Amino acid sequence: MSENKASVSSGRRLSAVWIIPLLAVAIGAWMVIHTALTEGPTITIGFKTADGIEAGKTKVRILSHQIGLVEEVMLNPDVSGVTATVKLDPEAEPLLREDTRFWVVRARVGAGGISGLGTLLSGAYIEMAPGSAAAERKAFVGLEEPPLTPVDAPGIRLALFSDRAGSIDTGNSVLYRGYKVGRVEAATFDSKRKQARYDIFIDAPFHELVHSGSRFWDISGISVNASAAGIKIKTGSVETLVLGGVSFGTPPGMPEGGPVANQAEFRLFGSYDDILEHPYEYQAYYVVSFSQSLRGLEPGAPVEYRGIQVGRVARILLNELTSQGLKGGNKPIPVLIYLEPGRLHIPDSEDSVVEFQKDIAIGVRQGLRATLQTGNLLTGQKLIGVDYYPDEEPAELGSFEQYVTIPTVETGVELLQTQVSALLKKLNALPLEETVASATKAMTNSDTALVSLKATLASANAMIKGADTVALSGELTATLQKMRFVLDGFSRNADLYKNLNASLRSLDATLSNTKSLTRQLSDKPNSLLLPANNEPDLIPRARQ
Amino acid sequence: MSHSETAAEKGLASCHLCLKLASRELHHCPRCGSALHLRKEASLQRTLALLITALVLYLPANILPIMITDQLGNSIESTILGGVVLLIQLDSIPIAVVIFIASVMVPLGKMLVMFYLCWSVSHGPPVNRRQRTLLYRITEFIGKWSMLDVFVVAILVALVHLGDLLVIRPGAAALAFAAVVMVTMVAAESFDPRLIWDQMESSNERE
Repeated sequence: MSENKASVSSGRRLSAVWIIPLLAVAIGAWMVIHTALTEGPTITIGFKTADGIEAGKTKVRILSHQIGLVEEVMLNPDVSGVTATVKLDPEAEPLLREDTRFWVVRARVGAGGISGLGTLLSGAYIEMAPGSAAAERKAFVGLEEPPLTPVDAPGIRLALFSDRAGSIDTGNSVLYRGYKVGRVEAATFDSKRKQARYDIFIDAPFHELVHSGSRFWDISGISVNASAAGIKIKTGSVETLVLGGVSFGTPPGMPEGGPVANQAEFRLFGSYDDILEHPYEYQAYYVVSFSQSLRGLEPGAPVEYRGIQVGRVARILLNELTSQGLKGGNKPIPVLIYLEPGRLHIPDSEDSVVEFQKDIAIGVRQGLRATLQTGNLLTGQKLIGVDYYPDEEPAELGSFEQYVTIPTVETGVELLQTQVSALLKKLNALPLEETVASATKAMTNSDTALVSLKATLASANAMIKGADTVALSGELTATLQKMRFVLDGFSRNADLYKNLNASLRSLDATLSNTKSLTRQLSDKPNSLLLPANNEPDLIPRARQ
Repeated sequence: MSHSETAAEKGLASCHLCLKLASRELHHCPRCGSALHLRKEASLQRTLALLITALVLYLPANILPIMITDQLGNSIESTILGGVVLLIQLDSIPIAVVIFIASVMVPLGKMLVMFYLCWSVSHGPPVNRRQRTLLYRITEFIGKWSMLDVFVVAILVALVHLGDLLVIRPGAAALAFAAVVMVTMVAAESFDPRLIWDQMESSNERE
């Protein structure tokens, strides 16, 4: 009995074998804790479609290194897309930032090239571009298109805004003097600014080429430009011709600006010529009003001072004119122009605009006037000229709405035109119709005159043909014969002639004697009474 | 049931190794020199401890993948139950049944039987001794067949190695599962079936 009891007590002694289950539990617990501790974050990524994404199979990778797995793909309640729940490795935790991006890598064939061929066999995967922002994030929206540049790639991201969406698209090149230095990452339309927005990336060594004075322009396709200066056709490289692209540089004469921050915003110009025409930031606005036809004057038309461009036409202020009411009629049409001090190599700044405005005010007092001129006779493009007309009446700057106005004069072809039109008006005013009427009347009168003339001639004819006239001619012949007989008496051989000739000759001698007497009388009228007193002629001698 | 005298009542114990009956006073077998005990030492404790170990290992064996198939860079992890479900879906029901019995039912049933036996010899009512003995014998016999799964994985891993095209790797569950099978086998071994009859003897004594 006692032995039995002893055996029972020994049975209840804790055996060392219990270490085994404890060890198993400990290992299991360690595994669980380790897994829990090293468990990576779970995130959700929204996609438009689940194309190629499979729960439990689709991997998430960074630089093709796996860091996670899609656990679940759920359809959004509103069927707007799918949401993939992704389990990431702990190493991915610090990479999940506000600007972390995800996109599905599948085989793509596009203008930018072919990518993701490897996924044809292995299936699509989700690529992750780590973010660097401070804020963390767990719910993401996947990109539909893979971004072209890794987030942390050295370089600079810029946003370009354009009033018109050109043919620039994602993946297009950004060129600097024809060399590819970056690419367009996204082409979107900012509905708030009502401008097309292009996000571009410029690779590392070249981002230093961008400064605050840089200008960006579109080099896509063919640009055909007909302006006051003529017609221009320009193309970029074949690639940009087909795909589009952006170029940048510093306009000639522009000073280099300071360095540019990431995500800086720039304006995208339509062409390089646009930049040459709009290289200045600060403008002085004026209104000039014309009574002439503004046909051919377009916004952007140059404003020139003696042929040098100093500004451009902003727009024609028709709205403001009509809002003022058209009563009274015959109002000149106001045109808004802007003058750019920078064009005159004055520093392009706010201060120089103020100075410039003062100069304009003084200039107007000295006869500065704006005129409407024809830039291109062929196309009829007009421009606005600014020049001094010292003969003009002195004037001051006026105002129209919120703008300052520069007085205008009519000159040149325009003046000629008005003068010609005035002349034509005068011509028009001439009583031409009356003249024509009276001329017609005169013609009618002359008609009757002709009829009577005809009658007269007929009667004359009759008269000539009459018997009297015939007899008259016979008498006339007899008279003439008699006259000839008389005249024969005066011929050279006739006696009468000879006698007459001798008489005339003696008359001539008599007359010549009379001539000497006459001379004597005229020299000395008293010679008839006094004898001639002939003194010796004086002979000049030398002084004694 | 008539009461007959047992060796234990006579103060004799059987040697575990050479089965020689010797006096318990000796502590060591006079023939082979190994330690002499009346019953397997701390049999219940050992069995229970190993059973608990097996139970702990059984969880990862079923949760973790037992086999990883790398097919063209696409890796598929399969668990035991997942494999059974897959086989059913593929209409291979006989194989599914075999695997289910060998890999799920047998180890689980074995552990449950062992737990029942442990409980019954210490606290259970002294009934159905023959049934319990039979259960023990079946358990001991069938236990090794659970290794089937592990062997299948081992053979596949060794055979299927086609570079990048197809590679099969053992999962962590294979190790855990092998451990479960071995630990349960050891547990069954460390259980002393004589305890079942000891209960009978002692109850006879009480009678």
